[in-house]
Amino acid sequence: MPEINVRQLVKTFGGQRALDGVSFSVEEGELFTLLGPSGCGKSTTLLSIAGFQRPDEGSITVAGTTFFDAGTRVNIAAERRNLGIVFQSYAVWPHMTVFENLAFPLKVRRVRKRDVRARVTEVLDLVEMGEYAGRYPHQLSGGQQQRVALARALVYSPEVLLLDEPFSNLDAKLRERARSWVKELQRNLGLTTIFVTHDQDEALSMSDRVVVMNRGRIQQIGTPEEVYRRPANRFVAEFVGRVNLIDGVVAERDGATVVVDIGDSSHRLRVQAPGADRASGTVTLAFRPEAVTVLPSNSTNGTNTWEGDVHAVAFLGDHYEYDVRVGSLPLTVQSGQRVAGDRIKVHIPQDALSILADEPA
Amino acid sequence: MPAGAVQLLTWALVVTCVVGPFLPLLYASFRDRPLYEDGGVFSTIGYRQVLGDAAFWHAALNTLQYAVETTALAVVGGAAIAILVARTDLPARGVLGKLILLPLLLPSLGIVLGWIVVWGPGGYLTVLADERLHVPTLAINTIPGMSLIEAARLLPIAFLTCEAALARADSSLEDAARSAGAGPLRVLRSVTVPMLRPALLNSGTLIFTLAIASLGIPLLLGAQRGINTISTYLYLSWTNGVSPDPPLVTAGAVLLLLVATVLLLIRNRLLGAEARFVSVGGRAGRKALLELRGLRWVFAAIIALYLALSTLIPVLGLALMSVVVILTPLIAPWKLFTWAHWHTIAEGQFRSAIEHSVLISVAGAIVTTAVVTLATLVAHRSRFPLRRTLPFVMLYPRATPGLIIGIGFFWAYLLTGAVGDYLRSSIWGIMVAFCVRDLPFAYVVMYPTLARIGEELDRAGRSVGAGWWLTSRRIVLPLLRPAILAAFILMFVELLNDYDPALFLVKPGTEVIGTLMLSEFIQGTTGPVAALALVQVLATVVVLGVAAVVLKTRVTGENDA
Repeated sequence: MPEINVRQLVKTFGGQRALDGVSFSVEEGELFTLLGPSGCGKSTTLLSIAGFQRPDEGSITVAGTTFFDAGTRVNIAAERRNLGIVFQSYAVWPHMTVFENLAFPLKVRRVRKRDVRARVTEVLDLVEMGEYAGRYPHQLSGGQQQRVALARALVYSPEVLLLDEPFSNLDAKLRERARSWVKELQRNLGLTTIFVTHDQDEALSMSDRVVVMNRGRIQQIGTPEEVYRRPANRFVAEFVGRVNLIDGVVAERDGATVVVDIGDSSHRLRVQAPGADRASGTVTLAFRPEAVTVLPSNSTNGTNTWEGDVHAVAFLGDHYEYDVRVGSLPLTVQSGQRVAGDRIKVHIPQDALSILADEPA
Repeated sequence: MPAGAVQLLTWALVVTCVVGPFLPLLYASFRDRPLYEDGGVFSTIGYRQVLGDAAFWHAALNTLQYAVETTALAVVGGAAIAILVARTDLPARGVLGKLILLPLLLPSLGIVLGWIVVWGPGGYLTVLADERLHVPTLAINTIPGMSLIEAARLLPIAFLTCEAALARADSSLEDAARSAGAGPLRVLRSVTVPMLRPALLNSGTLIFTLAIASLGIPLLLGAQRGINTISTYLYLSWTNGVSPDPPLVTAGAVLLLLVATVLLLIRNRLLGAEARFVSVGGRAGRKALLELRGLRWVFAAIIALYLALSTLIPVLGLALMSVVVILTPLIAPWKLFTWAHWHTIAEGQFRSAIEHSVLISVAGAIVTTAVVTLATLVAHRSRFPLRRTLPFVMLYPRATPGLIIGIGFFWAYLLTGAVGDYLRSSIWGIMVAFCVRDLPFAYVVMYPTLARIGEELDRAGRSVGAGWWLTSRRIVLPLLRPAILAAFILMFVELLNDYDPALFLVKPGTEVIGTLMLSEFIQGTTGPVAALALVQVLATVVVLGVAAVVLKTRVTGENDA
């Protein structure tokens, strides 16, 4: 049975649809990420699950309990949902010590005093903050406050953990460490987690599955690899990572492989991708800059190999990036090696190409 | 008790107390005789009488002149001082900026009495200037003279609003104008002052409303010479009418309330407009926009002079008056020295008035602070369906003339049977009226602090399983504590110094400091009244001083923890 079931959520703010039929299921123990630009509805979705927003339509079920159902007018109060949530600002109560912050949820649950002390100490050790129990939040760094916020959300063993952009207030170095640390903790505890972020690196590196949202609608749900390598539509392709987009017309079809004419028919691409068997007419193709092979201009021609003018080369440490014009078509490609010359050849493997669907209107 | 019940009760209590007095007022204004007389019927006679009375129209014209002059003086003065303090290298700008607030916090009736003692006809300095130095003096018992005193009292409102606007305004707007080649004066004229426009309109409307409703100054100065404003016209018709409490006064009060409400609605509109002017940023400790050079001492001296004339000299006048047999520049004061006035106020009706005032201030401040704290939480941190009505309800009395609150509660107590009878015959009736009248101050202090407490802090409380009431008690209220303390102090001071609603509710045996001062002063008992006023001033200064120290150590203490 899926742990979290979100069905057809709709929420309107002053005529604007913030959520427009959002549905997904999260499996037990999964780290599930809501990814999208600001205003896409990811935070509204999270706050609806937490009980701080009331959707206009739809239903939310967690572990078999209906939290919210617009149809039957069920709406369990936020404090009765037994979820752990870490806010963007951490929201560590400034007038309580670290210990008191963690003890509060247990006191609310009328846990005996001795047990409170034992449990708080246990969880503080888990987040490696044991020695800071007597400190006040303003005496802690941002990273430490974040650990306290996480500990506070875990101390009463909630069924589900919700993370609302928890890393956005950390600096870049600290953020990377925090990511792997949180991921490890989540896996060790086997905690079903919903994570909200606008940062694609965070989403790709941490998630078991990602849902990409835009303008209150779900664009794609899949593993990080699926979302990155096989973006469902133009929005996903452009939002998750960098991408080259090429418009063309289907010229031939051979089972799961199609041949697409690009602009003038002197350039064609052989594409082997899901949905190729249904493609016809005008299509948009996408491929990642690093999915290609960059070759010297004197190398032999082959399928999906184009020659172009090098407009600019940038050195980015672990790779080179080329701005190339193939005819009038601009492409961005990457290579580990520097390929000399004003003209280079670019080979695009046929399984590196995706055929993009139209975005849901 | 479930959270919903707490929220509903709080809402009902606040709405009943604030709206309560207005319904009986409206009802009484449409009866042909006072409510306590039998056989009253629906009638518009009150309105016909008041609108047909030439004296009313005369008073209305006076009020208009009075309010316009007061507003002009206070807004121009307040804005000028705000710019000097916020945007120039004025010496001691920090201290001056705080002292400017004194006229707003000190008991207005006491300060006015001080003005009269010193500058009034027959006042100490007037006589000194007139008879000894033979220089002309300002006649403060004329409309321009009264406006000047009223403006000196209300100027801090314009100052506060403009200073806050300047502090919020992004100073890079001004820097940009300077880089574009505009000199400091040009920047002031073309950028700073236009940015202040919403603040000027907003504070101007509030000052205008307060000036229309002002009772103390016109009653003590103008009314003595037959110059009436609407408020003194209503008050004198109420107390000196052929038949007591005539419908004409109630009808006039409703008309005045109508004007005040329209002005409040206009002001709300302006506040909305002001929000659009707010630009993000504004760094602290930036270099002054305008270097005054030699003029800086001149401007500082002018501000110091304003403070001396409006606050220091009246208070000194009161102090002197309270220890001499009569106050006159013609005889050296030490030859007239006496403690008699201080002995007088330590006993009899003076003593009981002081006791009443202290009782009302302490009890009222506790109750009001508690209710307003709860109501502010309901208004801004709950899902209570009617929560959005509370901010308006809690701000409404600020723009309501004190005499309307007084008349409103007078009728409300008459209509509410035994409870009303009890309130009417005890000091608690006066306390309720004062509390309702001054409750906006508590809200105004509380709300900005609450707004700064991030909503995620209480959401975090809810998410770990605490309900609304527990979250409020354990998380929001502790964080709100400094604001609650500040609200309590401010309420105490305001309740101690309030008087005009009580003029319509007071009975022999329920006098408070303000009402007694007014009635005794009009009867010519100046010495004890000066001593009483001084007690009020000193109590205010001491309480505010102690509070400032306590609040400051609290804040730093928490930082050190």
